[in-house]
Amino acid sequence: MTNQQFRVNTPTVTHETIDGEAVIINLDTGNYYSLVDVGSFIWSLVDKGASASEIQNQIVQTYQGDAQDIDRGVHELLAQLQQENLIVPVDGAGEALDPAQVAPANNHEKPSFNPPSLNKYSDMQELLLLDPIHDVDDAGWPKPVPDLPK
Amino acid sequence: MPPAHVAPSEITGEDRASRSVEYFQSVYELFNSAQQITGPIERTYVIGGYRIRLSFAGTALLSLTRALEHLAVDDHAAPDLTICLWDSESTGQRMIARPWQEEDFLARGVIQGYNTERIYTAFQHGSGAVSVLDTERNLAVFWAPDAKLPYWEYGSPLRSILHWWLLSQGLQLVHAAAVGNSNGGVLIGGKGGSGKSTTALVCLESNLSYVGDDYTLLGMESGPVVHSLYNSAKLNSDHVQRFPALLPKVANPDRLADEKALLFVHEHYPAKVAAQLPVRAVLLPRVTGLPETRWKRVSVAATLAALAPSTIFQLPRAGNEAFKFLAAFIRQLPCFSLEVGTNLSAIPPVIEELLGEIN
Repeated sequence: MTNQQFRVNTPTVTHETIDGEAVIINLDTGNYYSLVDVGSFIWSLVDKGASASEIQNQIVQTYQGDAQDIDRGVHELLAQLQQENLIVPVDGAGEALDPAQVAPANNHEKPSFNPPSLNKYSDMQELLLLDPIHDVDDAGWPKPVPDLPK
Repeated sequence: MPPAHVAPSEITGEDRASRSVEYFQSVYELFNSAQQITGPIERTYVIGGYRIRLSFAGTALLSLTRALEHLAVDDHAAPDLTICLWDSESTGQRMIARPWQEEDFLARGVIQGYNTERIYTAFQHGSGAVSVLDTERNLAVFWAPDAKLPYWEYGSPLRSILHWWLLSQGLQLVHAAAVGNSNGGVLIGGKGGSGKSTTALVCLESNLSYVGDDYTLLGMESGPVVHSLYNSAKLNSDHVQRFPALLPKVANPDRLADEKALLFVHEHYPAKVAAQLPVRAVLLPRVTGLPETRWKRVSVAATLAALAPSTIFQLPRAGNEAFKFLAAFIRQLPCFSLEVGTNLSAIPPVIEELLGEIN
């Protein structure tokens, strides 16, 4: 894992985490996403400015699991979040994450690490696809579409 | 004279601001000319507690008020917002040539280069209508080429202008239905086909009041409240057959091959429409095919994911602010999946039972 830091791709992306579930919307594409459990925890760490290696350390401290599995899980989720333009790399070395910003690890009973998965929903695409201009009339206005589902 | 074409990327923020104001003023002056030809007609409505006056140039667009008629008031007090409505065909007043270019039509009808903190401009695909709002003057203009607007424009008229202006007053349009009783109301979210409209409409023949079917208005000033916005209901034309009592009340019975069935609830059930209710819960209907209707608790995040995108992606310039509003609103409430059964008459008693339990 590298010291690469990321940030949430605002203002294109808006997000809320409620009771450990993150809901993320890409306002440009219309896609929206949810993350739970480990995925939501990783998202919160990205939002706090943690680097990839800091995220991995936090997950190792918080969850019980094979270090390689954790490394792979974190790496794959960060790659996917980047691919969906939900997070973007931050140039240059940022400040190290303040340990006080991270929930303390539970040393008694660590939950098992399950690889995080990003749930993606694309059902709003159809609404956005209604928008493009196909034709304009003589005065330059887009021609009315005969019918729309809404 | 309309401003000449200049790509928005080539103009400064200051230029954009003055162009936007200039465009608004041009459209407003054309409305005034149109109204001088036809004579003024005014109607006033109280929406979410705000007095909104519709000022028409002639009668052609008056039918747009059917969806708002339950909120009409008959007085001459000063309005909080005035919306001027005109069309070119009936008034003979031509619209200004558009000063922007094809590439400036953005998603959801937003016009690039003509949206600023003060001025909001959007084009309505499908109807060809232009909506423009000057937030500083609390003045808006809605123009359409003619009155042959699509059925959904009559079902949820002036949606963009109302969304923009009401948000600046702390009220958020939401793509959700709402029903309730003296215990309070439930907000019913979900996209088309989820059972949202079915759940709302079946309540018309029950003890429950009806607040709205498609778009409602949320406020948080003194706890979560839902305000009625439109009294129109839309149902897929094949689905309306499941409501024999509603069939004769459909406003567009001759066009069901191409349009959803449109029903103005206030015209047939005036006593059923509630202007506002305190919200006690959010329901996400899900059609199960089973006879019984039941509820089960779902997470606030899942409810937000069901409600927020279908609201945001249908409203021009809605985004982060609307999402944060909806999140703050829903966080205060218990959320349930309503597993809608095939026995429709059993749905309202289940909602009444739920409201009773929550209280």
